[in-house]
Amino acid sequence: MSAPASAPAPASVPAGSPSGAADPRVRRRGLLTAEWTKLWSLRSTRWVLGAGILLLLAGTVQKSWDDYHAWPSYHALERAHFDAMTTAFSNISAILLVVGAGVIGALTIVGEYATGLIRTTFSAVPARHRVVLAKLAVTTAVMLATGVVVSLSTFALSQSILSGRGIAVSVNDPGVPRVLLANALLAPLAALVGMGIGALLRHTAGTVVAVIVLLVVLPMTFKPTVHPWVNDLYMWFPFYDWAHCLSLRRPPAGPALPTVTVSWTAFAAWAVVSAAVTVGVVSRRDV
Amino acid sequence: MSSGSVDHVIEVNRLTKRYGDVVAVSNLSFTVPPGLVTGFLGPNGAGKSTTMRMILGLNRPTSGTATIDGRPFTARQAGLHHVGALLDAGDVHPGRSARAHLSALAHTNGLPRRRIHEVLEEVGLADAGHRRVGGFSLGMRQRLGIAAALLGDPPVLLFDEPVNGLDPEGVRWVRGLFRRLAAEGRTVLVSSHLMSEMQNTADRLVVVGRGELIAEETVTEFAARGARAHVTVRTPQAALLVPLLAAAGATATPDGADALAVTGLPAAQVGELACRHHIVVHELTTHHASLEEAFMELTAHHAQYSAQETR
Repeated sequence: MSAPASAPAPASVPAGSPSGAADPRVRRRGLLTAEWTKLWSLRSTRWVLGAGILLLLAGTVQKSWDDYHAWPSYHALERAHFDAMTTAFSNISAILLVVGAGVIGALTIVGEYATGLIRTTFSAVPARHRVVLAKLAVTTAVMLATGVVVSLSTFALSQSILSGRGIAVSVNDPGVPRVLLANALLAPLAALVGMGIGALLRHTAGTVVAVIVLLVVLPMTFKPTVHPWVNDLYMWFPFYDWAHCLSLRRPPAGPALPTVTVSWTAFAAWAVVSAAVTVGVVSRRDV
Repeated sequence: MSSGSVDHVIEVNRLTKRYGDVVAVSNLSFTVPPGLVTGFLGPNGAGKSTTMRMILGLNRPTSGTATIDGRPFTARQAGLHHVGALLDAGDVHPGRSARAHLSALAHTNGLPRRRIHEVLEEVGLADAGHRRVGGFSLGMRQRLGIAAALLGDPPVLLFDEPVNGLDPEGVRWVRGLFRRLAAEGRTVLVSSHLMSEMQNTADRLVVVGRGELIAEETVTEFAARGARAHVTVRTPQAALLVPLLAAAGATATPDGADALAVTGLPAAQVGELACRHHIVVHELTTHHASLEEAFMELTAHHAQYSAQETR
């Protein structure tokens, strides 16, 4: 059949299909805007982020007041081990942030599969890797911004309280910028890992459990040991590195403990592998 | 530019999809031309949805190809400009508003914002656009799915069981919509497991059973395959009428206590014959062969054939 024979109503030939027209292109900007729209049009995103940040700030205020009031009664050894950065952002804060960011990241992927939206999405843009890259970019950027806000605001809040005892640190003090950066990177890292696990499992509850176990619960059970190979294994878990090295202004050195370099390497490796897994798995599997 | 690639034909060529040992679609070939509504018929589990997903590149065929305008759909960039698809009314996040859902889709394909309002208006959801989809009825979700399919004003449209959940008014509306889209020169493929639905909507039929092609023809041709048309005559004097009918060349078989099923003579002539011989007639009804019957007959044969094949 030739083209003219198949046009019984020439007045209203569909707009997207003028004869010989070039294939309309998909622009990166449009894909990013779409993912941005998807993220913020869900009430759960706004609630989790808003309530989460408030909760973290409240925790920081509480911890700072505790240290402020207890400082006069601290012994010399306690004072020597005191780290104003831990007051700003404690282990519990880190757990909350990692779990929250990990779950939000996971839901950006699993939410599409669980609801079936993924089929609509890929019918609109058949080049799946481009959709996934846009989603990775938007989610990581939003989580990085969240991490920066959390890291800086908890720091500012805690130090302003601690300065009343003269035990606050400033941004320029040694080790402080690194801790601030590590605190800020927890959220985007957790979100990326959440997306990777979400892409692999495609099941909401399973993904949430896996994210929490892998990112937080498992590394929390690790303690430095006398077996070098076990320590070498532990070093590859970002939360372990954060707790035993990156979050401390003066990380203790020792053969059983992760170094700053190793810790950053683990952070980078998990981020890159997670992103690669997300793109690879989503592009290949049937939906 | 390239000739023959702008005719908006869907071509399915020896398509096969296996999930482990289960064959969902088997060596399926058919063509969907523009300007007509093509019904894609088959019982549940016949492989209709799987075929549609393979046409859209969502599922990878085990073998065979599916092309639109001579190219696989996955080779396209802005899918909404080429094909609009409603696969499942549930394929939307319940936490978003209808407008946000369509807005995200429109952004991906660079479509203007006014299209969102236009399609919502078109499907009758203009007032519900700001509401979260989670609160929609199934019928409203179907309408939203149709709105999404129309968003890019595409020349090719796929609808998988679009009538599910629609109220009678909605069913009438959607039939009119399909007819109009086809009249505008678009290619329209509508799947259903309800034969009666297709009788009123489709021009052509692609019938599948157990993943295999059973028939590909016009609705009229398909209906002609079914049980032959007959006339029901209800009369207390059947014993008198039967020999008269036989003399007129018709066949009459008893159909219940006081009724006859007559083939070979139209209702009008049966009535005249009875009148001439002063036979009382209580009922005279013409039965057309329905698609339903034709379909049942065909799939029954097919099932039998398959059973013999495998045992």
